[in-house]
Amino acid sequence: MQSSEQEEDLRLLRESARTLFDRAGGSGRARKLRDAGGEFDPDMIRELAEAGVFGVAVPEDQGGLGMGLAAGGVIAEEAGRVIAPEPVVATIGLGLGLLHRLCPDHPKLAQLIGGEASLAVAWQERGPGGAPAQATCRYAEGKLTGGKAWVVGAAGSQGFLVVAEGDDGPVLVLAEVGAAGLVTNTRAQADGSSLGELSFSATPAEELASGAAVRNALAEAVADATALAAAELVGLCQRAFEITLDYIKTREQFDKPIGSFQVIQHRAVDLNVMCEVAQAGVREVLARMDGETDANTRSRLASRAKARAVTAARKVTRDAIQLHGAVGYTDEFDIGLYMNRALVLSAWLGDDAYHRRAWFDAREEEGAAQ
Amino acid sequence: MTDWNAMSDAEFRKEVRGFFEAEYPEELRHLPHRPKFCEIEPWHRKLHARGWVAPAWPAEYGGMGLNAAKLLIFYEEQQRWGVNRGRDMGVQMVGPLIIKFGTQEQKDYWLPRILSCEDIWCQGYSEPGAGSDLANLRTRAEIDGDEFVINGQKIWTTMAHDATHIFMLVRTEPDTPRKQQGISFVLAPMDQPGVEVRTITTLSGETEFCEVFFDNARTPRENLVGELNKGWSMAKALLSFERIFIGAPSLAQNALGQLESFARGRGAFDDPVFRDRFAQAALDVEDHAALYARFADQLKRGETLGADVSMLKIWVTECFQRITELMIEAAGPDGGTVGPLQVGNVSVDVLASFYKARPTTIYGGSNEIQRNILSKAVLGLPG
Repeated sequence: MQSSEQEEDLRLLRESARTLFDRAGGSGRARKLRDAGGEFDPDMIRELAEAGVFGVAVPEDQGGLGMGLAAGGVIAEEAGRVIAPEPVVATIGLGLGLLHRLCPDHPKLAQLIGGEASLAVAWQERGPGGAPAQATCRYAEGKLTGGKAWVVGAAGSQGFLVVAEGDDGPVLVLAEVGAAGLVTNTRAQADGSSLGELSFSATPAEELASGAAVRNALAEAVADATALAAAELVGLCQRAFEITLDYIKTREQFDKPIGSFQVIQHRAVDLNVMCEVAQAGVREVLARMDGETDANTRSRLASRAKARAVTAARKVTRDAIQLHGAVGYTDEFDIGLYMNRALVLSAWLGDDAYHRRAWFDAREEEGAAQ
Repeated sequence: MTDWNAMSDAEFRKEVRGFFEAEYPEELRHLPHRPKFCEIEPWHRKLHARGWVAPAWPAEYGGMGLNAAKLLIFYEEQQRWGVNRGRDMGVQMVGPLIIKFGTQEQKDYWLPRILSCEDIWCQGYSEPGAGSDLANLRTRAEIDGDEFVINGQKIWTTMAHDATHIFMLVRTEPDTPRKQQGISFVLAPMDQPGVEVRTITTLSGETEFCEVFFDNARTPRENLVGELNKGWSMAKALLSFERIFIGAPSLAQNALGQLESFARGRGAFDDPVFRDRFAQAALDVEDHAALYARFADQLKRGETLGADVSMLKIWVTECFQRITELMIEAAGPDGGTVGPLQVGNVSVDVLASFYKARPTTIYGGSNEIQRNILSKAVLGLPG
């Protein structure tokens, strides 16, 4: 259980994040950006940075707010509520997660916290069959060669933090957009965003860190981002449910609100319970990850959170469409935007089936170690 | 007298755990059935001597006077060690009813007898036509001089065949505009010619539920608790703590532990499909515990729980049932076998767990009724 002081801090943070997102236009902003074909809004990035959003989980002595992942989760939930297209979680969890662990003195850390730089993290690779595969992208003598996939925020980014294979194990390097031999392709996503597919051919890059520390920091950052993505889905579920609840209270058929029919009521209750269980589970995970140092345990906790959030999001967003009836199938109603965003967030960093496997394996490993 | 509430949570937990572990008879741990009083009498004597029979009652009435936080710890430790709750209807239901609504005479007479188990209570709420729709009850109590004369039938009366007294909701005013009106709370002795008890054999072969028939049974008028015809609101007021208790994680957690050792022994984890289903169930239990903790914190802060607490019961009972289905799946061809199945040094009674899980979605307000409550009181849905 968190102390009441911490709880109060998180409550205030939630209030200010919600106000900020609502003032910026709520979920309407996501629709506008999608329709304009834009990835995300640079002004919004600056506003979020000014409010300290990106640095919430970065330690205070490194220029952050030092409020931990629990606070990151608050931000992620609020971003999820308005289906904000900005890579908030990717920045907090991956970008800053790597920089503050590996090179806290690098100027990019402060720039990323301050919203003056946007950096996307490229760490996964696509195998010949299209599925995720072992990393083979090489870094040697200051140059990158190979490819990276599933890069969140690639389209609006000024540079890439790339995890590559160096001569002595993994390295973290920085490649600027426009660098020689760097080709960026994008794959359109259901919510209007895109994922980057990068290819490097002797692309110059700056080495930031190397060795086992990179492997460990990556595992930690991925665990953080996974749990934060779960929190984003929790916020998304909550709001999708509220929208649906409003709809079934007002939509009339047979001269009555459809929410007066028992079968609709029971389905609504099940969605509500699903949302509450997911919120409680994911928040507990984030709070526990803050106090946990064992890497295996942290990643098990993150898997628990993502498995729960994806399960809930699937149920809530699909049922939300059904409860809206035919209008749920139109683009005009916001509920569809929530489902589309849920599809993207669920697939990113592993879905529920993936994370149940990961959770089970991590638990077996812990059991065997004891 | 010890002020338990002044202790730190950790100290108190240690105290309770220490007592249970040292004093609770090993052979009574995790009893699969509800015991008759004679079975657990030695344990009751120990609790009584220590003054721990009634953890929730105020100290002035012989209870421990625990606040909500300490009470939850007490129950958690009880469940953790598999300590049977004993014949606690008197402590859980009658005592609080009398303390809240009873006269001084009633308190002086009944409360010490509850603590000593001189009187053993059963609860007469449900009737054949009044289950989920409890207010539809028809058992009549008519005033005849200094007595009530009771006619009608109660059903699902837990352990009525091992009770000396019944506390019951009866209709004292037949024609009221709303059926919730005209209901009263009365206490009645079981040992009299007008009361007949028949046990009901359940699917599991147990006989812990009974039917109780009243044919001109009598009870003194002074055994009315609270005001005449105001029993309904009193009954509702009694249920506040019950509502989190009935949604506690322990039943599902214990079943999950059993499932895991059983499945491991049977080699069920070699099957990736089973592993996934196990992981789903285990995560359902973990995340429920997180939600339970949120409600428990609310109680600890001294807040009253809202109707939304019902969601705990819905989730955990349905989860409990899925876990017992997985046990049957892991048992394979032994899935229909009665009695304990031995796997290595663990013995698991798969069917006993399965049957135990069945009524959980029915009792305490069926899960369908809970969904009705949530949809109206929490989601504000019409009709």
